[in-house]
Amino acid sequence: MSEGLKFVEEKLDDSVKLSLFGEVDIYTSQELKEKLYSIVDNNQTDLIIDCKELNYIDSTGLGIFVGALKKTKQYGKKIVITSLKDNIKKLFIITGLDKVFVIE
Amino acid sequence: MNSVSDKIELTLPFKAEYVSVARLVASGVCNRIGFDIETIEDIKVAISEVCSKIVSIGSKTADNYTIVYDITENALNVVYVCDDPSIKCIFDEEKDGLAISIITALMDSVVLCDKSNRIISMSKVLEGNR
Repeated sequence: MSEGLKFVEEKLDDSVKLSLFGEVDIYTSQELKEKLYSIVDNNQTDLIIDCKELNYIDSTGLGIFVGALKKTKQYGKKIVITSLKDNIKKLFIITGLDKVFVIE
Repeated sequence: MNSVSDKIELTLPFKAEYVSVARLVASGVCNRIGFDIETIEDIKVAISEVCSKIVSIGSKTADNYTIVYDITENALNVVYVCDDPSIKCIFDEEKDGLAISIITALMDSVVLCDKSNRIISMSKVLEGNR
């Protein structure tokens, strides 16, 4: 079945890096939302989301990224998304979110 | 494989934890037809998007919904059906913009609001057969 979703959180000098492992779908999205929102509210710094080991995401997950970005902007900070796999980057392009997020 | 079409039906409860099963079945079916890996990933996303929406709506009268994978020599047709007639036209253009964009971009044809007893139908044709 689903490989689930795991996180590794790392505090850097002026940002927090969250590495995602596995899949974000309707089953795991609530977990992602709680994690992202708590990082944004507790740290109020830039957030780096490392997607090197993220194998799947759907519109539910993308919507949560957008919600987290809105919260981050309230603190005058940004979200940087790194190491997207091609199949996931394609979804950002289709939805126009490649122009909303900083993608590296 | 039958030269006309083969059908595989997957009946799932309205539970989020089983949406990944629809993706797994899609992988196997698409591989059987001969889609490349990139296209298989696309189809899995589209199929999963619809499942997620159906699950998020749920049903007061039905326990399950069914995905019919209709396999032909050069195409996959996917149809969603449910005994609950209230599950129709499930996507809202305003609220579900991301999902609609993804599904319509990744599949060759999509009928989001089917007039028959289907919830949604969509299809993908093998490259070179379009």
